[in-house]
Amino acid sequence: MTETNREVLLDVKNLEVTFTNNRKKFRAVKDVSFQIYKGETFALVGESGSGKTTIGRAIIGLNETSDGDIIYKGKKINCKLSKEESKEMTRNIQMIFQDPAASLNERATISYCIAEGLDNYKLYKDETERQQKIDAALESVGLLPEHKSRYPHEFSGGQRQRVGVARAMVMEPEFIVADEPISALDVSIRAQVLNLMNKFKIERGLTYLFIAHDLSVVRYFSDRIAVINKGRIVEIAPTEDLFAYPLHPYTRSLLQSVPMPDPRIEKNKELIVYDESKRDLSGEKPKLREIVKDHYVFMNDREKAEYEVQLQKMIEERKQLKVG
Amino acid sequence: MSEEKLINEDSFTFYKVDDSVSEVISAPEYSYWKSVFKTFFSSKIAIIMLIIVAAVLLMSFIHPMISGYDNQDMSNINNPSEWFLRPSLKHPFGTDDVGRDLFDMVWAGARTSLFIAIMATVITTVIGTIVGMFWGFSKKVDIVMIEVYNIISNIPFTLIVMIISFTLKAGIWQLIFALSCTSWISTAYFIRVQVMIIRDREYNLASRTLGSSTTKIIFHNILPYLISVLVTSISRDVPHFISYEVFLSFIGVGLTERVASLGRIVQTNAKYMQSAPYMFVLPVFVTALISISLYIVGQTLADASDPRNHMI
Repeated sequence: MTETNREVLLDVKNLEVTFTNNRKKFRAVKDVSFQIYKGETFALVGESGSGKTTIGRAIIGLNETSDGDIIYKGKKINCKLSKEESKEMTRNIQMIFQDPAASLNERATISYCIAEGLDNYKLYKDETERQQKIDAALESVGLLPEHKSRYPHEFSGGQRQRVGVARAMVMEPEFIVADEPISALDVSIRAQVLNLMNKFKIERGLTYLFIAHDLSVVRYFSDRIAVINKGRIVEIAPTEDLFAYPLHPYTRSLLQSVPMPDPRIEKNKELIVYDESKRDLSGEKPKLREIVKDHYVFMNDREKAEYEVQLQKMIEERKQLKVG
Repeated sequence: MSEEKLINEDSFTFYKVDDSVSEVISAPEYSYWKSVFKTFFSSKIAIIMLIIVAAVLLMSFIHPMISGYDNQDMSNINNPSEWFLRPSLKHPFGTDDVGRDLFDMVWAGARTSLFIAIMATVITTVIGTIVGMFWGFSKKVDIVMIEVYNIISNIPFTLIVMIISFTLKAGIWQLIFALSCTSWISTAYFIRVQVMIIRDREYNLASRTLGSSTTKIIFHNILPYLISVLVTSISRDVPHFISYEVFLSFIGVGLTERVASLGRIVQTNAKYMQSAPYMFVLPVFVTALISISLYIVGQTLADASDPRNHMI
């Protein structure tokens, strides 16, 4: 189901982010490695505090990394870059923020908010082209040109988030870090923003790093999923594989936490609570290893043997279900 | 009754839904400064005080020009019939112990005092805001500045002003320098705290990812949020400097006999508090009027410039 030799756009290798507070160190992200291919939507899923946002911000350069490499198009970007290089990186990698109420400058007009990036990079020849670009950006997210002179507080949450999307899109980026872009929105307008992002993905061949905790949204939106727990990636797999054959106990517990819209199933559901202290952690140190093609699990040799048995069982069950 | 309405496909026509209709905002256009003035003028006390401020400013800057008052002109010093005259039509505030017209003297003094206070406020606010911005933004600047602040704020302000006044000799510009040379640091510290509160808000991160420079973020993202805070600080500073000038002249550090100032008038006339109370009460009243009206206008303007007060 995946082509081989796809172009790797972003390669994260052994990333570590450490926060220091009064000489106390906290490793928010530990030894994280993943690759994002050009044109795909890669989702990062985990509970709050697991380090998803930190990874996203490290990629965009807002958080400093303490170890490891972030390689964008073959170039390391988490080190000191020359002024032009870092400017180019900033333009190419854009971000959609979580809270539309907090991520827009309340004292600036919509016109200023959208044109901020344009002005910084002088992405226009003259004032007419600038206005045209702002109008086009507003129109592409379904807003009206007359909104230009309005202030953010006059808009609804969904409209604001679309301004946030338009502001990122006007820079014509290649890669977008979407940090829970819909979690602060009303359920009724979530689909609107997601469809908008999908539209841009198809139209412009964008690549997304989609950070979320809502599994149903992730399933709808992304091509591949990485599950992250306590700053460590525990499983990476293509979306359908992950939902069909979750292997790591944390992934299983996370998937099971999604409520079923059927009270009978819900009542009889046997809850798997993930508790690391109760796990058998014998054997050598686990690593993120491939179990079947494109499916990576954080494990050691002993666990690998267990997971392989489990996987076989699940495949058998699936087959029987289909036959039945 | 054979007219039976048939509903078939022809009864329906396609209607295109125009999504943009739901996007229209029907509320009238918002303008920041318009709302500021609207909120300001909705307060009656503020309007009265603004009229008083305008009258005081006009009086103190125009009246001395017309009267040509000179503090050293003591032509009536040997003419006792002009001394200690009670307020009358000719002398609205009466005359003092050497026969100078107190009305002219008060307005000339108000001009000096207001000039000193306004200049000191402008210098303090401009330097304080610029320094405070970078102080709040940069951790390196913070390490140095916090020590400077600790040192300066631990030396009594009056002591600094006295030493500067003594070394540079008395005079208007010297007094302005003495008043503003260290007081900008408390404005800067105040701004620093405000900047630190809003520095790491998400919209500033968003500006960073859009490639905005620190200077652009300061002027477009931080400064507009501080307008009401700055107006508050200014409205506090002007009356504060006026009363400080009065205080300094009163203890004999501020200005010389060459120029009239409210502080000097109050100081020299204090000894006639019982024998000729009008000589003391009227200048004090004018001083209080200036301070209070400026303060109330400033506070109302500060409230009005906070957009949270615009939505009502």
